[in-house]
Amino acid sequence: MKKLFAVALGILTAIGGFVDIGDLVTNAVVGSRFGLGLAWVVLVGVVGICVYAQMSGRVAAVSGRATFEIIRERLGPRAGLANLAASFLINLLTVTAEIGGVALALQLATSVDPLLWVPVAAFGVWIVIWRARFELLENVTGLLGLTLIVFAVALFMLSPDWGRLAGQALQPGPPADEPVATYWFYAVALFGAAMTPYEVFFFSSGAIEEKWTEKDLAKSRLNVLVGFPLGGILSIAIAGCAAVVLLPASIDVTSLSQVVLPVAEAGGKVALSFAIVGILAATFGAALETTLSSGYTLAQYFGWSWGKFRKPAKAARFHLAMIIVVLIAVAILATGVDPILVTEYSVVFSAVALPLTYLPILIIANDREYMGDKVNGRGMNLVGTIYLVIILVAATAAIPLLIVTGAGA
Amino acid sequence: MNDETVQRMPQPDPRAPRGRVLDAHLHLLDRQVLDRDGTPVTTVDDVELDGIELGARIEPGSPAPTVAAILTGPQLPMRIFGGHAPARRRVAIPWKLVASVGTTVRLGVGADSLDASWVERWVSGHIIGRIPGGRHDPE
Repeated sequence: MKKLFAVALGILTAIGGFVDIGDLVTNAVVGSRFGLGLAWVVLVGVVGICVYAQMSGRVAAVSGRATFEIIRERLGPRAGLANLAASFLINLLTVTAEIGGVALALQLATSVDPLLWVPVAAFGVWIVIWRARFELLENVTGLLGLTLIVFAVALFMLSPDWGRLAGQALQPGPPADEPVATYWFYAVALFGAAMTPYEVFFFSSGAIEEKWTEKDLAKSRLNVLVGFPLGGILSIAIAGCAAVVLLPASIDVTSLSQVVLPVAEAGGKVALSFAIVGILAATFGAALETTLSSGYTLAQYFGWSWGKFRKPAKAARFHLAMIIVVLIAVAILATGVDPILVTEYSVVFSAVALPLTYLPILIIANDREYMGDKVNGRGMNLVGTIYLVIILVAATAAIPLLIVTGAGA
Repeated sequence: MNDETVQRMPQPDPRAPRGRVLDAHLHLLDRQVLDRDGTPVTTVDDVELDGIELGARIEPGSPAPTVAAILTGPQLPMRIFGGHAPARRRVAIPWKLVASVGTTVRLGVGADSLDASWVERWVSGHIIGRIPGGRHDPE
């Protein structure tokens, strides 16, 4: 019974933890412009994150080493530092977007200017990282994030023309009134949102925080293989809601109030409050994960003591780095920059940074010195390599598409 | 024992080193250094070798150099960007403190007794340890 509970908890937190501000905004934007025409990208992204999250968890559990320690060992100090700089900066952008997202969710609930909520949100993120146990912070935000299921419920309550939605989803390709480049720009953004690299740092470091051994691998595989696809269905439901309500009315998504508009229309205030709780939990949880990831990457590259299982004074530089990251995020948001805009850029740059994380993991998962006889099988290497090609194409195309389309305008 | 078996036995190399043979690049550089309790101390940013002179020609047949110390601190930017750091800024962990070398380098002493951990101790003592809750286990 206890085992069953643990498995259920893991799956539920994986579902609730899958969606972050990037998924929320990008799916709503895409739904309002292309309907479900890009739902296939979410599917491709979900399979990719399943493959690589599972692989990085296995590397961490078998070798006891987190991703960035091994990236430095294998790439050497110079290429490792270049990788660290790029990964860290993009992660910082994501931290900023998530904290901004928390502030926007609080604004939805209270109508108080998000700028006033930013310091509150940032302090909340820091105090939880400072004081709460790893399992606690992961489980609470993951479970509360499940209230995002209201998007799926709302989609049913809107009683849409299912045939039309299916038609959009099954006939991928740019619609007649949108340029081809814009379609592919949003495809790359959606892919970046689904596969955000911080999830891999967080997943592999989390495996060490929770002291996984090879015995825990079956459980973790189940969490990933069931939880992430269900999280992906939530993403598609968000796009679906936007496709049903926002697309026909040609409403552009420029703030969270448009993201939740279909939910309010379908289920009134009750549904709206569920959506706000869900968005708050999802962005807050992701803010914790990204802030921790920035500490993990720095500490692992430089060999500092790290981990939530230690007292902060026993992982001093790790905690100091995270405090500085949160302060920088607050400073960026204090300029008055729109968090939605930060989010849109963060998912595109995430797509650019994907190979930096995923290539080293694929190499290490084949290294017998770390993995013994638990190296990748042939099937896993085939899937991993196919995804590496997709990732490289998306990463190379991201910046040119960003420039050509004027960020999807 | 007849002559034939003697012939097949590998000849012991008179120049073979007495300790373990390590490929510095493959087994040491950029490895995580853990203390006695498994707490990370640093990464092997560089190593100091005994038995060779910098810039001198190494004669064939000369004895293999031995590792004298693990270097850290200013050694990392030097390895990345080049240049030299003054000797007084050198931060070293003597090799005699190393207990074992695997995918990580384990020391036989606690991190707090090492010069190499001074930055961590300073940040802990002056900043993180002074924030309320900093010396408590997470709840």
